[in-house]
Amino acid sequence: MGRYALKRLLQGVITVWFIATATFFGMHAVPGDPLAADKAMTETIRANLEAKYGLDQPLHIQYAIYLKNLVQGDFGISYTQENREVNDIIQEHFPVSATLGILAVVFAALGGILWGALTALYRNRLPDTIIMFLVILGISVPSFVVAALGQLSLVSANNLTGISILPVGGWGTIWHMIVPSMVLGLSTMAYLTRLMRSSMLEIVSSDFVRTARAKGVPATQIFTRHQLRNAILPVITVLGPQIAVITTGGFVVEIVFAIPGLGRYFVQAVQQLDYTVIMGTTVFYGAFLVFMVILVDFIYSLIDPRVRLE
Amino acid sequence: MAQTQTQPQQLDFTPIQQTEEIQGISRPSLSYWQDAWIRLKTNRRALISLYIIIGLLLFTFLGPLVWQVDPAQQDVNQISQAPFADRTVTLVKDYTPWNPTVYPQNGIEWEDTPNTEIVRLKWSPLEGADQYRIYRNVYPIGPERSLGLPLFEISADQTWSEDRLDLKPSTYYYTVVALDGQGRETDLYHEIEVELTRAITLTEARNRGLVAQGENAEIGTQFKYDLHPLGTDYLGRDMLARLMHGARVSLFIGFFAPLLYVLFGVVYGSTAGFLGGATDQVLMRSADFVVALPFLLFMILFKIVFGIGPGESGITPMLIAMVVLLWPSTARLVRGQILQIREEGYISASTLLGAKTNYLIMRHMIPNTMGVILVTVTFAVPSAIFTEAFLSFIGMGVAPPTPSWGSMCNEGIKTMLSTPHELIFPALLISITVLAFNLLGDGLRDALDARMRNRE
Amino acid sequence: MVSNSLLTVKDLKVEFDTYGGIVQAVRGVSFDVKPGKTLAIVGESGCGKSVTVQSVMGLIPMPPGRITDGQAVMHGLDGQDVDILGRKTINGQDIRGDKIGMIFQDPMTSLNPTMNIGNQISETLIVHRGMSKKDAFQRAIELLELAKIPEPDKRASQYPFEFSGGMLQRAMIAMAIACEPEILIADEPTTALDVTIQAQILDLLVDLQKENGMSIILITHDLGVVARMADEVLVMYAGQVVEHGSVDDIFYRSGHPYTLGLRQAMPTNDQNAARKLTPIDGSPPDLFNPPPGCGYCARCPHAMQVCQDNPPPVVDLGDGHWGRCWLHHADNPNHVEAIHSTHGGGSSD
Repeated sequence: MGRYALKRLLQGVITVWFIATATFFGMHAVPGDPLAADKAMTETIRANLEAKYGLDQPLHIQYAIYLKNLVQGDFGISYTQENREVNDIIQEHFPVSATLGILAVVFAALGGILWGALTALYRNRLPDTIIMFLVILGISVPSFVVAALGQLSLVSANNLTGISILPVGGWGTIWHMIVPSMVLGLSTMAYLTRLMRSSMLEIVSSDFVRTARAKGVPATQIFTRHQLRNAILPVITVLGPQIAVITTGGFVVEIVFAIPGLGRYFVQAVQQLDYTVIMGTTVFYGAFLVFMVILVDFIYSLIDPRVRLE
Repeated sequence: MAQTQTQPQQLDFTPIQQTEEIQGISRPSLSYWQDAWIRLKTNRRALISLYIIIGLLLFTFLGPLVWQVDPAQQDVNQISQAPFADRTVTLVKDYTPWNPTVYPQNGIEWEDTPNTEIVRLKWSPLEGADQYRIYRNVYPIGPERSLGLPLFEISADQTWSEDRLDLKPSTYYYTVVALDGQGRETDLYHEIEVELTRAITLTEARNRGLVAQGENAEIGTQFKYDLHPLGTDYLGRDMLARLMHGARVSLFIGFFAPLLYVLFGVVYGSTAGFLGGATDQVLMRSADFVVALPFLLFMILFKIVFGIGPGESGITPMLIAMVVLLWPSTARLVRGQILQIREEGYISASTLLGAKTNYLIMRHMIPNTMGVILVTVTFAVPSAIFTEAFLSFIGMGVAPPTPSWGSMCNEGIKTMLSTPHELIFPALLISITVLAFNLLGDGLRDALDARMRNRE
Repeated sequence: MVSNSLLTVKDLKVEFDTYGGIVQAVRGVSFDVKPGKTLAIVGESGCGKSVTVQSVMGLIPMPPGRITDGQAVMHGLDGQDVDILGRKTINGQDIRGDKIGMIFQDPMTSLNPTMNIGNQISETLIVHRGMSKKDAFQRAIELLELAKIPEPDKRASQYPFEFSGGMLQRAMIAMAIACEPEILIADEPTTALDVTIQAQILDLLVDLQKENGMSIILITHDLGVVARMADEVLVMYAGQVVEHGSVDDIFYRSGHPYTLGLRQAMPTNDQNAARKLTPIDGSPPDLFNPPPGCGYCARCPHAMQVCQDNPPPVVDLGDGHWGRCWLHHADNPNHVEAIHSTHGGGSSD
């Protein structure tokens, strides 16, 4: 177990290094001098940047400085906002995105498992047909449309009742979080429902469930101890990559619902070509996602002894 | 034990000569693809999806031949026009200064027919008014008295006003509020509901070619504006034409990106699987790294790195980025298949019979992986369309003015509340396309995957 | 029926709805299970032998499965005779796992991969005996020892993937006998195992039977296993019982051409019988649309005109031995007592 953990962590670190390197050389391949771009950059920022990154130095030294800064957890200074460190930006905006993301993942995972199990149990009957129709819709409608529709229905719900049931945008209270996180988790939930359903169907007709029935185990206990636990495994496997989907989906939801998260900030930075912010957030997001995948793998190993004991 | 059935009258105990035919049950033998096609045909959802996809292709490629409207052409008369809206326009006289002579006894009324060129209001003086402030609202003034847009303030000796500001053919609610000496609003006001007809002045009509230069036309003549079956966008461009041209971009990326990266993945994966050993290890380890990259972040990065030069649509960088980032999953899949097939008994049998490598690849490997690859492509199409839409939505995709469904959604979402059709149509097309490909993919997987054959 | 039997199955009929139509998998099967004896059900794949016992156990998926007719009477259950067919519980108690235990063909897939062996055995005890978790686990270790698994206390906390196939089948047996059932159903228990392990598992079953005095219903297509284990044999073909008798009846006085065919397809170590193995040509009839006459007719070397359109009668061959074949019919001019020769032909001994 310990060796497995260590191996996975090491792999993760190498991947993050790869991401950082790719980002660095990618950004340096941008035609022209990024600093000479037609940005309204003050002399102070320029001087700071040159000193900090050794921009007059050859590329490999810049790379070394960059890596050294990264290891120390320093992502640099914003190009467009004077004296604003990328770290500050991440610290300020990431918790918002993370809260939104975690809520969405919880919503998606619980919903997916519940609906998936339900549709499998009611296979080819009315509840199954209805839910699977909604699921296929959920998979086929782009996240920004879901977000827009979510907001639209909020607006009309508020208009209809004449009172503000839930806020239409912004951030702050738990009430602000409900609709955006549901919107964000929706497509993942749909995907997980499908996965859970097929996995559940496979388990329902599996030999070991037949064994459990032959043992005279009551149906509810078969469901919880034999079916659910085994059917969840494929759902957990895809949860890691799905966290990445939710994270990037968060960009859109944050824009539509005017939520001050890192995603919205990242998109803004991209539109303004704020290079350090782009690089910093890319590496940060990359590292975050890589370690999320590792975390999910650990959770998986807790449930599946075959992974744990190898 | 008792006899289980009644005695037949005459029992014939003569032996029968067994022939070959009776011995086996013969069922027609079908090739893999024939069998798959038959199975697909019985899947109604998949079949309907297939028709929808064919329909979309016709819409995209034959549509522009039928509906020959330039998607970049702006129709300034019809900005954000809803689909199937009234297109009639009435000719009105050019603007002439107005000085009303007759005022209403009590209240407010309009003079001339209110139209989109001009709304003329006149009212009876309000007691103690020092000034009047005129408001205009597009919604009825409810009990909470939201008056809408303040238009102008005029001194109290003038009890008439003209509104020529950006009028749309719909219903407006005007309020004239009396202001006291300090400019504060008093409780006294007039309000009026005005329904506007679409109108155009003679000069304008001449400029836009509705009336030939030098010719005269009678005031009150009705013209018809150009037809826009699905309405227009916020710049007055024809939605239908833009959807057709946007479909090209979306479907081009939707088809070509998966084709290219699946092809690359197949070559890469089969090489790794076929060569095996150290080569396989190295190839698959590097694939692992690419898999670990957060896809959309790197798509965005790619767009920045490659940039979009002036006049470029930004499709090529998007294609390249997708191919570079997305091939590993196919490569893994194909490698797994090849490794598995290599171990199968029929390959050993074929090898024992003296089959050459080429024969093995052509006769066994390719046909047996084709199904999986085809299913992968089918599922890759909707995800590529999604990616394009997502990137265009956050402004990192296809550069304007080239339309794509994603960028049209991006533009449409800004006016979602007032003119929802600008968002709904492209979003609907994306959803239908993705839905069709997903259902077709499901059907194909069920039809091609032998493991699934005995299910459901 | 015989009063001293444990379980009497009468005229069982089972159908399945499938894509191609309704499959009549079991078409009127009857048998008795006697205390302490082993009943073997033999037949080729798809003849309905597994479906028969799974229907009795209530294990066939419904839908698509459907029991259309029949009874399965458990004798002496709380002093009564109770029809258990299609019933999950009797007096609130599930007889499955308690009065009847069952083991399956593929031990690798028949155990829950994410639950350790000890807990899987305990589960039965907790459900039927109301034991505490701790006591049940302790008992599970004893059962593993009984099933001759070395280091049972260590093995109990291991997972199925850490076991070999033979060990898993032992664990399955331990699980099936946990509540000391009166009947143990073994559905091809050795098919997935290699030959040496097969022998060990069969020995274990014999030993346990001696100790517990339980009855065994053994389903197999291996006549070698039948010869070694069975007291009585039921030969099934195309969803029907074609012959029933003691082991000696079946092997030395075969009453049905199909039984004979099976024997001829079986290798022997008799050096004097220098002969080829004779396969049975053709394949079983389509159970979507079973033939009106004898199901074996198309493959039978003794087939007569009458076999094609008339269902064969059940003919008593004496001493509980009977066959379902026109050859034994009194009106048959070439009437035979038994067609037990291994050298082909319908001649008498």
